Amino acid sequence: MPPAEGADVPPTPNSNPNIPPITKSAITAMRHPPPESKESLRLRRYVILSFWAVAIFIGLPIWWKTTAIYRAELPLQIMTDWADGKICRPVFPLRISVEAPTLQLQDAHNLIRATQHALDDLNEFSAHHLRLMLADAPLSAANASQQVVISGGPGDRSDDEDIALSIRLIPIETGTAPRSILQPYAPTLDVYYSPNQIPPPSSTGSPLATFIAHELHKIFAEEQTLLAHLLSTTSNVYTAKMKSLSSETVTELERQSTRTLKYAPTYHLTFSLFSPTFMPSSWEIEAALQQYLSPLLETFSSISNFTVDTQVQLYATFSPSIRQPEYDENLKAWTLRKEDLSGFINAAEWPLSPSIGVSPTVNFILYVPDQSQSPLLVKESGANSWLVPQWGGVLILNPAVTGQSPMTLTKDALTPAMHTFSEQLLSLLGLPQSPASLPLRLSTLKRVRAASLLFSASSTLGALARLTKALKSIPIPDNVAKSVDTAIAHLQQSCSDLRDGRFQGALENARIAETAAEKAFFEKSMVGQVYFPDEHKVAVYLPLLGPVAVPLIMAGMKELKSLRGR
Amino acid sequence: MLIDRQKALLFAAAAAVRLLLFTAFPSLPSLLAGRVEVSTPVTSFKRLQEGLFLYTHDVSPYDGGVYHQAPLLLPLFSLLPNTSYYPFATNLVYIAVDLLGANALMQIAESGQSATTRLFKSSRNDLRWSSVAIGAGFLFNPFTVATCIARSTSALANLFILMAMAKASQGASITFVFALSIAAYLSMHPLLLFPPLLILCYDARATRSRQAPNAFTFTAIYALGLVVSLGSLLYISSVLTSSWEFLASTYGVRLLLPDLTPNVGLWWYFFTEMFDSFREFFLGVFWVHVASYMPGLTIRLRKQPLFVATTLTGIFAIFTPYPSIADAALYLSLVPLFRHLFPLMRYTFLASSTILYASFLGPAFYYLWIYAGSGNANFFYAITLVWSLGLSVVVGDSLYAALRDELDVERPELRGKEVKRI
Repeated sequence: MPPAEGADVPPTPNSNPNIPPITKSAITAMRHPPPESKESLRLRRYVILSFWAVAIFIGLPIWWKTTAIYRAELPLQIMTDWADGKICRPVFPLRISVEAPTLQLQDAHNLIRATQHALDDLNEFSAHHLRLMLADAPLSAANASQQVVISGGPGDRSDDEDIALSIRLIPIETGTAPRSILQPYAPTLDVYYSPNQIPPPSSTGSPLATFIAHELHKIFAEEQTLLAHLLSTTSNVYTAKMKSLSSETVTELERQSTRTLKYAPTYHLTFSLFSPTFMPSSWEIEAALQQYLSPLLETFSSISNFTVDTQVQLYATFSPSIRQPEYDENLKAWTLRKEDLSGFINAAEWPLSPSIGVSPTVNFILYVPDQSQSPLLVKESGANSWLVPQWGGVLILNPAVTGQSPMTLTKDALTPAMHTFSEQLLSLLGLPQSPASLPLRLSTLKRVRAASLLFSASSTLGALARLTKALKSIPIPDNVAKSVDTAIAHLQQSCSDLRDGRFQGALENARIAETAAEKAFFEKSMVGQVYFPDEHKVAVYLPLLGPVAVPLIMAGMKELKSLRGR
Repeated sequence: MLIDRQKALLFAAAAAVRLLLFTAFPSLPSLLAGRVEVSTPVTSFKRLQEGLFLYTHDVSPYDGGVYHQAPLLLPLFSLLPNTSYYPFATNLVYIAVDLLGANALMQIAESGQSATTRLFKSSRNDLRWSSVAIGAGFLFNPFTVATCIARSTSALANLFILMAMAKASQGASITFVFALSIAAYLSMHPLLLFPPLLILCYDARATRSRQAPNAFTFTAIYALGLVVSLGSLLYISSVLTSSWEFLASTYGVRLLLPDLTPNVGLWWYFFTEMFDSFREFFLGVFWVHVASYMPGLTIRLRKQPLFVATTLTGIFAIFTPYPSIADAALYLSLVPLFRHLFPLMRYTFLASSTILYASFLGPAFYYLWIYAGSGNANFFYAITLVWSLGLSVVVGDSLYAALRDELDVERPELRGKEVKRI
């Protein structure tokens, strides 16, 4: 506002004290204001300088320190190399010991050498090879070192397990020879031969050696296929060198792998009894589990642990969405259609919790149909049990012939159910179908699991490395780097365990590596800023800092200008 | 003699009012102690009692995460009889604290440093209120009374700030440094008052002695004195609690604002809304903002250091993380020292009505939000904005008035004329 009295009012020299003026209205002074005194000029510069000093010497470091994104150093190249399979080529050297107590040492050596030749000729999969050795050859210099390893601790489990299979050569006088019997509950192959089948020292091949080689190849065929499939699908390095798998095999393997539960160190098993009526209201499940399942779970304990719970649910009807059972005259039974089986489980009403705790749940359902609808079967196949991929198994227990369904299901009544459930569990856990020996299948599973964990941990590391490279704005806390280091160390360990044939150790290390890699990848604090692009930062900074910065900058510029003008 | 009688009368009246409130309404202290406007997490008497209980039971008082006040308050209050059963002694202590504060304020008024300093003499310096009137303004300020009744420990911090100002204006160096270090020890931000009060003390000493002391050595000695006395207070505290963890629980809480209990300040709402990743940055910005006023004001108003200190207390009442009405009470009691600026202030009506408006509506809006549930946090935040606006108007207007006053001295021919900023 122009002063009323006229032009002789000069502006104040210093009415902007500490806060630099925000707006400067240009005034048209009729006369130039008197020059500011030197002192006030100096004062104003000091004031502006003090504000700038605070902003620069305190504000800037605070900004730098508090908004810097902390990125711990990650071994990106190593992680990528792991994912690309450049560091570890998993190999599966299996040791097979040959017990030939009745043979001459020289003969035994000859036989083994011949068999080894035959085996190597048969093998098309270089990563998986079988090595024969003589079980007790105290005089053999060549096997001395191996002998030390084997006899290092007679009761030592891990040393024991280093032998994948032992072959017992048993001479017989009568009967067809050679023939072999695979022990179902021990990793032992009994080979019966007639003494005249021992190859002479000079010959390179013999029927017995060829026979043993073929037997061994047959036993480990499925394992080789599984591993070859695994290697070819997860790691591109091997694809070229792999023996080509037939498409049917691949389909079959795919089918199996979709059925199999994802590997976990612990599984939770839930056994449920459902009945549409009030009967049966109790079952001797504890005793049945004790007898039929516990030994199985115990043998699995080197791969996974299990927790078990059970429940009984009465008046449980199956879901209304499926067609009610129909009576089939031919089968003399009530039948369910195959396409309805997927809706059989009444997920809405049956209390089957999806997962208790961190470990995945495997459900086993025993359904006892109503008296009026018994026996109840699957129409197409006449079966009474089926497997739900990656979820569990169902069995319809039809009461014996006719009569009242019992109030209590005895242990004996549960026996067929337990057998089915055991089979289903093995299948869900991904245990291979052959060979017939359970220990052999278990050790196959161990190798397959170790390899798949190894690959999945490596690819998780690779994904983390790619993520780190792609998103420059995410912070990487120290514990991620620590987890990555743990994962790499255990991967390395696992890989060398595999190379040395210590499969139990390989599995354990791979499991630790997998856990660490997952933990690093899913670190929560990393993703906080992913969806926070730089444009948003303007929105955060400007509303508050803009009004503060404008007067600071304007005042600073004005002072600079006047300094230059002088 | 007249002054002394008046002063005695004033103190007796103020003590009587407080005693009456304490005895006639026994539930009033606890009611006020629970009000967010009066008690903040760093000054609440209830939290002090919690800390005291832990302290007397040989547990670290900071264990519960409730107590955020200075450790040396604990032995002081543990000497008093238990407040739950015998509140009288504690009440007497708080009344004494207020009276001592008023006494210090009257000493400041009597020193005349507000209008006439060594380098500056206001052209209106005859315009002033008597020290008794200023003391009455402090003692009968409802905010001061509420703080006293609520037994908030900011009453103690206020006392030591006032004492530091009084001693600095008298040029009493040792007591000044000691009082300021206790004030800073109790509530940290009074440390920013050191430069203006140092200038005040320097001026006071320079006026008294014939020759002005060397500014550099003067600053160095006083800064050293402050460091030593603050350091010894902290050291005694660490011995008392037998660890240094009290630093994080007291000053750490003031700096990093982990407790977002609403108060009359501007921080709590802002930081409830803040993105987590920017929290540290904006804590820094807010603190730098509070601190940045000090150097600028001190340089610009070098000739009126007491005014700078007063303005800084006003800025503390607005911009610190845990302000309460006690801080406003301190500022509003110091403003009457500058009676000579009142004719130059332009928005007195606006400022006083805004503050009155906010003080009446604040509790009502808080009630609507917390108890009635018919309002939300924005209600209370809006009213704290109005409250801060009122205080800012007083701060800004008084600053304008002080500068205008300086101009009048510099160019007497402009007195009473309108000015315009270029």
